[in-house]
Amino acid sequence: MSASNATATGINHSERITLVRFVGLYSFLALMILILGSTIYFKLQKDLMLQTKRLELEEYSKELIDGLKLLHIYFDRYRTYPRNPMYRSAIYDADHIQIFSTLKYPEGVQLEKVIYTTDGVIQYVHVLDSYYLGAKYTVVEIDDDGKWFARTWRSILIYGGLFLTVFLAAGVMLVHLFLAPMRNAIHLLDRFIKDTTHELNTPVSAILSNIEMIDTEKVDPKTAKKIKRIEIGARTISTIYQDLTYLALNHKIASMNHEVDLSRLIKERIDYFKILGESKKISFETDIQNGVKLYIDENKIARLVDNLLSNAIKYNRRGGKIVIRLAPGELLVKDTGIGMSEEQIEEVFKRYKRFDSGAGGFGIGLNIVAMIAKEYDLQIEISSKKGHGSEVFVKWRV
Amino acid sequence: MARLIVTVLLTIVTLLASDANVYERNCVKCHKNLSLPLEKFFFDYLLKYSSERRVKQALENYLRHPRKKASLSTEEVLLRYGLMPKSTLSNKDLEKAIDIYWERNKVFGKIE
Repeated sequence: MSASNATATGINHSERITLVRFVGLYSFLALMILILGSTIYFKLQKDLMLQTKRLELEEYSKELIDGLKLLHIYFDRYRTYPRNPMYRSAIYDADHIQIFSTLKYPEGVQLEKVIYTTDGVIQYVHVLDSYYLGAKYTVVEIDDDGKWFARTWRSILIYGGLFLTVFLAAGVMLVHLFLAPMRNAIHLLDRFIKDTTHELNTPVSAILSNIEMIDTEKVDPKTAKKIKRIEIGARTISTIYQDLTYLALNHKIASMNHEVDLSRLIKERIDYFKILGESKKISFETDIQNGVKLYIDENKIARLVDNLLSNAIKYNRRGGKIVIRLAPGELLVKDTGIGMSEEQIEEVFKRYKRFDSGAGGFGIGLNIVAMIAKEYDLQIEISSKKGHGSEVFVKWRV
Repeated sequence: MARLIVTVLLTIVTLLASDANVYERNCVKCHKNLSLPLEKFFFDYLLKYSSERRVKQALENYLRHPRKKASLSTEEVLLRYGLMPKSTLSNKDLEKAIDIYWERNKVFGKIE
């Protein structure tokens, strides 16, 4: 699982995905309605045009039949087919065999229909009662000027476009309407966290600085143990405070990038978290190469490391082990904890996502990691097996 | 060789003539004597039956089983001449005679 593909920006990203999906589905349905409406409209316009032309064609057909009648009677004297420059025509026998034709497109003739368009012409079929010259069908043809076609398409494009625009605008409004309650809930939670964060800073700093001032060697072992517990609790709150501060403020502040000595920083962070690990009897195995450097905001890389270490402790089993390895271009944090399934790994970077509510936290740690990784183009790879622990690799170009 | 060619040509001419004779001998001869032109009947058949297949079928039916109801002649003609006698031609000859009748009178290719 790579962090670059994961949701790192929270609500706005998922809101965008929801919006795109909804608008996609909505547009598809709108388009279907539009196509259906356009098809019906097109057919109606065509029928209207054919009905108008039919009267004209019926007149031509009558004229042709009169001519055929005369030709049938006087066939022994003259054999000239009745013609008129206003139309072209053809006659067919009862077996649909063409007797004579002046049609432009005789191959398009459909004797089972009455009036239709084909290849730019309009053809009208009339069935005779008396088969003059053996003709059961007369076909009269005129050119289709295509004006109705252009007019119909223009109407479809104009009104269809208008309809689609209104439909889409209504769709976007609906999405905002549906998303409003969810957005309000998230904003409320964000505001609550922000407000709480402000109130945490002073007491936590006071507790930690005062604990550091106590000389534990001078107090009795029982009291020293109690002080240690207070220190663990205070450090946990401090880590949460740092995360919340980052979420509430830091990612909106410009980064102060410089060459950070990762080897030193990681050693410091391990020392800081060792006391938390001791509470669960977790041992640390480190392989940290000296002089590994990265051009990054120190506060941000500290948040990334802290969250990885904090998670490794939080989700580790009692008496477990944490392996930390640092080499140029790669940091590994491995634990022997509860591990995760494939589906859980897929969702691990989502904000407020927790797989073990008993382990505490807000589900923001790995979301922060993903955000920092995305900002600095760091590759996060997680491999995990349920019940065996997890491995988190942070990789960067050297 | 020349004798063979002459023999073959004579045979073909004889065969064609005999085919035409079936129609001439059995149809034209009688109608000519009665002054009832066959061409007029052809157009009556066309007017009623339209296609080649249907015209030929109707003719064959009528010639085999002449009935007043199936006749296209007018009442006057029927009163004067009565129904024509039932054809005694073999099926093959009757078909040939009808084919020739169709070919001589059909409108296909004659309309200008």
